[in-house]
Amino acid sequence: MKVLHYLNQFFAGIGGEEKAGQEVLFIPGAVGAGSVVQNALKDRGVEYATVVCGDNYFHEEEEKALRAIRTALEQFQPDLFLAGPAFNAGRYGLACAKVCSWVRDNWRIPAITGMHEDNPGTKEIGRHVFVIQTGASAASMQESLKRFSLLIERLLTGDENAIETFRAEHCLPIPRRFTVTAGAPDYVRAADLLLAKLKGQTYESEIPRVEAKQHAIPNLTNGLKDATVALVTEGGLVPKGNPDRLESSRGSRYFKYSIDGRQDLRRGEFEAMHTGYDTSTVNQDPDRIVPLDAMRLLETSQRFKKLHDHYFVTTGTGAMPSKMEEIGAGIAEELTGSGINAVILTAT
Amino acid sequence: MITCLSNVATQVGVGRIMGGSKFHYPVGKPELPPEEELRWRVGLLEKGLAALETPVKEPKVF
Repeated sequence: MKVLHYLNQFFAGIGGEEKAGQEVLFIPGAVGAGSVVQNALKDRGVEYATVVCGDNYFHEEEEKALRAIRTALEQFQPDLFLAGPAFNAGRYGLACAKVCSWVRDNWRIPAITGMHEDNPGTKEIGRHVFVIQTGASAASMQESLKRFSLLIERLLTGDENAIETFRAEHCLPIPRRFTVTAGAPDYVRAADLLLAKLKGQTYESEIPRVEAKQHAIPNLTNGLKDATVALVTEGGLVPKGNPDRLESSRGSRYFKYSIDGRQDLRRGEFEAMHTGYDTSTVNQDPDRIVPLDAMRLLETSQRFKKLHDHYFVTTGTGAMPSKMEEIGAGIAEELTGSGINAVILTAT
Repeated sequence: MITCLSNVATQVGVGRIMGGSKFHYPVGKPELPPEEELRWRVGLLEKGLAALETPVKEPKVF
């Protein structure tokens, strides 16, 4: 069996940041982290080779880098592709994710990488790539490489159950939707799942469950008398004409719009971009999704000190939970930076 | 958070949850005349502000 291992300039021992522009280099044999894996597999008759690419070079010249990797694949004809582990190194993680996804899609051989769950590379993982969970730094190198070797051994034996057990225990659950083949047509499968649920039986959906991260719930230290309150919505309300092109579905961005000097949101001046609900009632009176008129009255009666002069908006439909998490964090950061004490968020 | 999907909000761990009017207009009541709708909305938001002042440790539907 032949293994091709992708490493960056640093983990291949070529150099640090000053060598990050390193072009793709094919090295027969194992280097750096690869030597450990090769050693663990020495009784398996594994032939090993390495491709090295500088972190900057990959991102600046991605097409050229992938072409050079294709050449290495053609020459070496590996049965298995490895990349990393990248731990929490962002550029390296992204490169590992992209290379593995590309190899898996175009070369149809198993592809394995490893990284920390916060690595931005996790967002670029394609279909069927194994992503072994590692620590945040190279301190977890030995343990990570043991897992690489263990997975390779299981792939060699071809024991599907053992591979799935490994995936469940050691791989990051990548919240992406993949095409899978079930044992029955979709309508039968759906009815089976529903019946199992109604009967209280155990069942497992093909769609991975994305668990929300739990955050501590903040409490106001003082009342609202001195508080600035902001309005936020996922209802897609934007100025008429949607000047910033907020997506009406699968939103990837958020915007803030001024409500300074406005007493209410008028029909014809704002409209909702959102394919997840019937927007006609909101379009007749946008205060039905961003309750500016009511909040102004409560501000005037000094129920709280001030209404923030912008409202924040995104579209919460059809989107990736991970993207929504990013958007939420972005809005929260802007709000805390503006001295906001509390938020009213309307959601459809 | 004002929403009609309070079960979803609870599952994802939102601290203070309030049921809105309808899924597609959580803070609207179009069946009422405009002045009454506004009065209703002020009442709803008053309840929301009171919720903001209530200490909570886990998701709570007000």
